Amino acid sequence: MNTLWLHLRNAGRLAWGLLRELGDENAYARHLEVHGRTHSGAEWRRFSEERLRAKYARAKCC
Amino acid sequence: MNKIVGRALWAAVSVVAALAIAQIAGERGEPVNSMWVVLAAVCTFLIGFRFYAKFIAAKVMLLDDRRATPAERLRNGHDFEPTNKWILFGHHFAAIAGPGPLVGPTLAAQFGYLPGTLWILVGCVLGGAVQDFIILFCSMRRNGKSLGQMAREEIGRVGGFTALVTVLLIMIILLAVVALVVVNALKGSPWGTFTIAATMPIAVFMGLYLRYLRPGKVLEVSAIGFVLVLASIFGGEWVAHHAVLGPMFTLSGVALAVSVIIYGFAASALPVWLLLAPRDYLSTFVKLGVVLLLGAGILFVRPELQLPAVTRFVDGSGPIFAGKIFPFCFITIACGAISGFHSLISSGTTPKMIARESHAWPVGYGSMLLEGFVAIMAIISAAALQPGIFFAVNSPAGIVGATPEAATATITAWGFPVTPQQMAQLADQVGESSLFYRTGGAPSLALGMAHIFAEGMRGAGRAILGFWYHFAIMFEALFILTVIDAGTRVGRFMLQDLLGQIHAPLGRTSWMPGVIGSSAAIVLAWGYFLYQGVIDPLGGINTLWPLFGIANQLLATIALCVATTVLIKMHRARYLWITCVPMTWLVVACYSAAWQKIFSDVPRIGFLARANQLQGLIDSGKVTGAKVAETQTMIFNERLDAAVCALFLVLVTTILVDSIRLWAGILKGSRPAAVTETPFVLTQLRPEEI
Repeated sequence: MNTLWLHLRNAGRLAWGLLRELGDENAYARHLEVHGRTHSGAEWRRFSEERLRAKYARAKCC
Repeated sequence: MNKIVGRALWAAVSVVAALAIAQIAGERGEPVNSMWVVLAAVCTFLIGFRFYAKFIAAKVMLLDDRRATPAERLRNGHDFEPTNKWILFGHHFAAIAGPGPLVGPTLAAQFGYLPGTLWILVGCVLGGAVQDFIILFCSMRRNGKSLGQMAREEIGRVGGFTALVTVLLIMIILLAVVALVVVNALKGSPWGTFTIAATMPIAVFMGLYLRYLRPGKVLEVSAIGFVLVLASIFGGEWVAHHAVLGPMFTLSGVALAVSVIIYGFAASALPVWLLLAPRDYLSTFVKLGVVLLLGAGILFVRPELQLPAVTRFVDGSGPIFAGKIFPFCFITIACGAISGFHSLISSGTTPKMIARESHAWPVGYGSMLLEGFVAIMAIISAAALQPGIFFAVNSPAGIVGATPEAATATITAWGFPVTPQQMAQLADQVGESSLFYRTGGAPSLALGMAHIFAEGMRGAGRAILGFWYHFAIMFEALFILTVIDAGTRVGRFMLQDLLGQIHAPLGRTSWMPGVIGSSAAIVLAWGYFLYQGVIDPLGGINTLWPLFGIANQLLATIALCVATTVLIKMHRARYLWITCVPMTWLVVACYSAAWQKIFSDVPRIGFLARANQLQGLIDSGKVTGAKVAETQTMIFNERLDAAVCALFLVLVTTILVDSIRLWAGILKGSRPAAVTETPFVLTQLRPEEI
């Protein structure tokens, strides 16, 4: 039972990690950590603009 | 002991794969359960992943986990970041999975379910997944360089420039064809049009919410956006029955095309955070959710395949698109079997996030297998429909007749019984006025999906079928529009990159006249092909989808060319068959298809033959009055399509010839085999950091 619970918890963490990665939330957390900054509206906008500029300079797949 | 058990297990998987393929291939005149297709796909993909991909990783690429990847060496917290392999797997899959693996297999179902299924299984394992895997490896060993950069550095300047122009042209055709799929799905459908129109203010609301109200809360705003989109589906039914709003949202093909063109321009020129990015977040989550839901639905419902294994249309007389099974089945299903566009993703974000070299195996090869499985689900959804209904929805009026009676009589005469009453009842059940002539694959796929979802909720009544149909249409249109707005933007950057070499300010992405001019140029380019498809009496898909398929597969040829060059430079020439076999197949299929599309004597296949046929109608006086100008436009369009097709061939031939000269020089020893990989650096990454 414990093993099953562990597997389920790991799968859930993985799914949550994937959603956060797809939503750029992980990238934002890394950005704050790397630059030693704290979260604020202005910081998110700065990160988001840089991130999205790079993201939408690449082709999206068909 | 473990080794023996493992071998016995893999032997069992192989036997099940063989049995399942034999089961779906044996024509016995009775419906086959879709579980056999699922089993055949799962077992074949497992064998390909475990044995073929492992062989490539170990013997050909010599993946080395001691070597630091760009994610570690160039770590910056943004693009370059070592990422858990399963998270990266999902990320890469979300990036490669677009409308292609859903629409292509649905269209190719006109040949029956078997040809498409076999091509997806073989093409994916030996071609598509290999291409994605090797390009990911090449880019990973070159600091995450793009395909264009690698083509320039590995093959030469001609190859690099040609690759850039080819990608731009393919992008234009791609955007036109996916826009046509949306237009044909929403034509005369107030419910669908309202739902899709509502996603725009929803996306803008999400953008503002994310920027000013709750910055950084992407998952939160996506959940809110999803609830609003669901509400808009329910609202769409109300709008469709409203005396004033209903007609307002009932648009013709041309009106929808103009709307999509205006939307594409606006989305390309507006700040990305306002419309494009929030829609993209929402579309990505919905896409993954629906793929999982469809997989679960198929496993739960286990529908029977109503479509025959092989239909009479393998002879080239198909109503959805003309042309024999070879080569047209193989260019119609590109994404799902082998797609050149994936090489752009494999040399984009993913190589910058790989923590260990061995992760390229599940991420590069495995993600493509999952996309292949999505394509298999699309075939199952299409084949689960009654064949008469499938052809009634997908055939253009120019082929089956302009009235429901004529269309159903033609389709019934082909051996696929269907009545106007059946079609009317189905249209009523899904809340549409008519389901005839909805070419493009999206509506029939939505019908198939809706049946599977509704079947999974037995007893919910007919209202649920309408909801699921429009949910599926919303899902398809949502990410097609994301492809359109992001693609227009990328096309703009590419055009500015090219124009900047002529006049420097034109290349600046912040110079407003340059932004507006290049956005307009890209939108007009794909908008023209879209308009051409909308006014085409043969439905547009017959012309544009093969053109897109040829272009996409030719891009895969370029990617495999780059991969072959790298293998030769790595002194792995004895394994060249790994890239050369799929590349040769693509060359044969694409060149054959392109030749037929240009020069075939059959007007439904050959662009020039169709132009000559139309010219003949004008010359003989059978076309008169206002129709003359319209016919002349169609003649111009056919000749333009022939020219575009020929241009693709010239561009790819240039790269092929350039590459073959290089390969011959290296193999004969007259040219140096300069490896451009980054030097080996020992990894310092600890397992807990991944």
